[in-house]
Amino acid sequence: MTTTFSDHVTTRSPAASRLQFQIVFTRTLMYVVLLVIVVVEAFPLVWMLLTSVKNQREVFNSFLPTSLDFSNFPRVWAAMNLPIHLFNSLYVTTLTVFLTICVATLAGYAFARYRFPGRDWLFYIFIGAMMIPGQAILIPMFQFLKAIGLLNTLTGLSLSYLGGATAFAIFLMRAFFLSLPRELGDAARIDGANEFTVFWRVYLPLARPGIATIVIIQSLGTWNEFMFSTTFISSPELKTIQSALFQAVGRYSTDYTALSSGLILALVPIVTVYLILQRQFISGLTAGALKG
Amino acid sequence: MAVQSVPRTSEFQRSLRDSLPPALFLLPAAIVLVLFMGVPMVNAIILSFQSWNGMSPPVWAGLNNYATLFKDKLFLVALGNTAYFTIITVIFQSTIPLLIASLLNSGVRGSTVFRTLYFMPVIISLAISGLLWAMIYEPNFGVLNSTLRSIGLGGLAQLWLANRATVMPSVIIVSIWQSLGFYLVIYFAALQNIPRELYEAASIDGANAWQRFMNVTVPGLRPVIVLVIVLNTINGVKVFDQIWVMTAGGPNHASDTLGTYLYSMAFGAMGSSNPQFGYATSIAIVILLLSFILSIVQIRLGRRAELEE
Repeated sequence: MTTTFSDHVTTRSPAASRLQFQIVFTRTLMYVVLLVIVVVEAFPLVWMLLTSVKNQREVFNSFLPTSLDFSNFPRVWAAMNLPIHLFNSLYVTTLTVFLTICVATLAGYAFARYRFPGRDWLFYIFIGAMMIPGQAILIPMFQFLKAIGLLNTLTGLSLSYLGGATAFAIFLMRAFFLSLPRELGDAARIDGANEFTVFWRVYLPLARPGIATIVIIQSLGTWNEFMFSTTFISSPELKTIQSALFQAVGRYSTDYTALSSGLILALVPIVTVYLILQRQFISGLTAGALKG
Repeated sequence: MAVQSVPRTSEFQRSLRDSLPPALFLLPAAIVLVLFMGVPMVNAIILSFQSWNGMSPPVWAGLNNYATLFKDKLFLVALGNTAYFTIITVIFQSTIPLLIASLLNSGVRGSTVFRTLYFMPVIISLAISGLLWAMIYEPNFGVLNSTLRSIGLGGLAQLWLANRATVMPSVIIVSIWQSLGFYLVIYFAALQNIPRELYEAASIDGANAWQRFMNVTVPGLRPVIVLVIVLNTINGVKVFDQIWVMTAGGPNHASDTLGTYLYSMAFGAMGSSNPQFGYATSIAIVILLLSFILSIVQIRLGRRAELEE
């Protein structure tokens, strides 16, 4: 070991330069592997982007567009009624996230900060709901929404997400409230604050990072949801963006420029938010998985 | 007697007063979970013992639905495809992201940039990525076949999603492509918690990169590996969106999974003419039981392996 080291310092022995070469070679190989994976992961998206700016005749001839033709975007924007569907998705997402947070912060706080009989088994029942796959409640939910007259409404769709959404959010909020010091609440109680004030004025403002995690996870989940939104909404003008695109495939099955422009336009909102908040997205979704 | 009952009442009152705030805090959640999860779940269990077409009143069918499952060839095909999809995705989606995460963790520059790029497909919905890949796989205009033709490998061009032999691998590749960034980021976060000294100590002992991976990384990440396997299993057992969008279970049920088969039983591919809600729900209960049982078994096995070390 020592000899190699001094060799390396004085003259470059064959052994040392072979080691040097090995290190450079492995490094290079590592970057090559990582870059190849970038290409694999990005290629479908890049291809979609390139297809969307081709004119219709050259779609099938060349990989790269010969000229940029942006006319597909306004054409598709109007023809697929994208503003309406994006708005529908936004409405359902906002309502679901808002209701989830109202319900889950309260319950998560109760589980983290109070002792009451049956707390633990109640908690297990609540988070057990997380394990239930959407398919299990799909048909009963269809019947239930029909019975209360909310089938084929955006509000009904939003309500159908609440069960799964709140279970998970309660779990995360409980973990978050547990990480906040108990003494803060006790101090406020000595000052005469009632229980709700302690929650509302002391703990809730501190819980913002936890709430942000839920906003990210739940917005993405609701915005991207497909099975419930396709099943519970039948009116074309009420479709969310996911099921609207699925419907459009039939009409545009041979018009690839239109279809890829539509997909791009549907992705713009979510990709923009992702690029702005990428750090929060990645850490939020990871935290969600690691805690769940 | 009367004297004794006074303190008891006040004690009762006090405990009532103490549990009032948590009860009020929990009330909205309880209402939501009972109404939108509990009731539908109970109804699903009841419905799975009934025969119902959605029009005439449901008829009690006892265990008929469940008995039919095992005689229904198409159900068994869907069960087989679900097992196939789940096993292959569990294998690839728990190993490939781990290998790449370890590469990123070995002092590579720009690991944040790489992670951001890898994560892009994760935020795209399963439905949209299914539509996108259906375009890629399209036999005449799709980029896959046209690339194969242009590099002289036209013989390999396939009807990817319309060929019984290639349809399952094709949809599995979409799943691997889409989920890579998600599991990679989970692994990467966990890798940060393994002390660097362990790797250095292993290097000094003469361990090569692969040995360090097997003897330091894998044991250190065991709980996270189990978590990723459990998540992959649950997602595999209930897989629906991408397959429904790309093939709707076709060609001729070659890519039907439990999820797509139950959906076509209930709602049909193009608006069903003869919905079988009871039977479809019994398939949903199978999905529920499979994901429950498999994840419990995996967590148990993971714990046991940890204890044995």
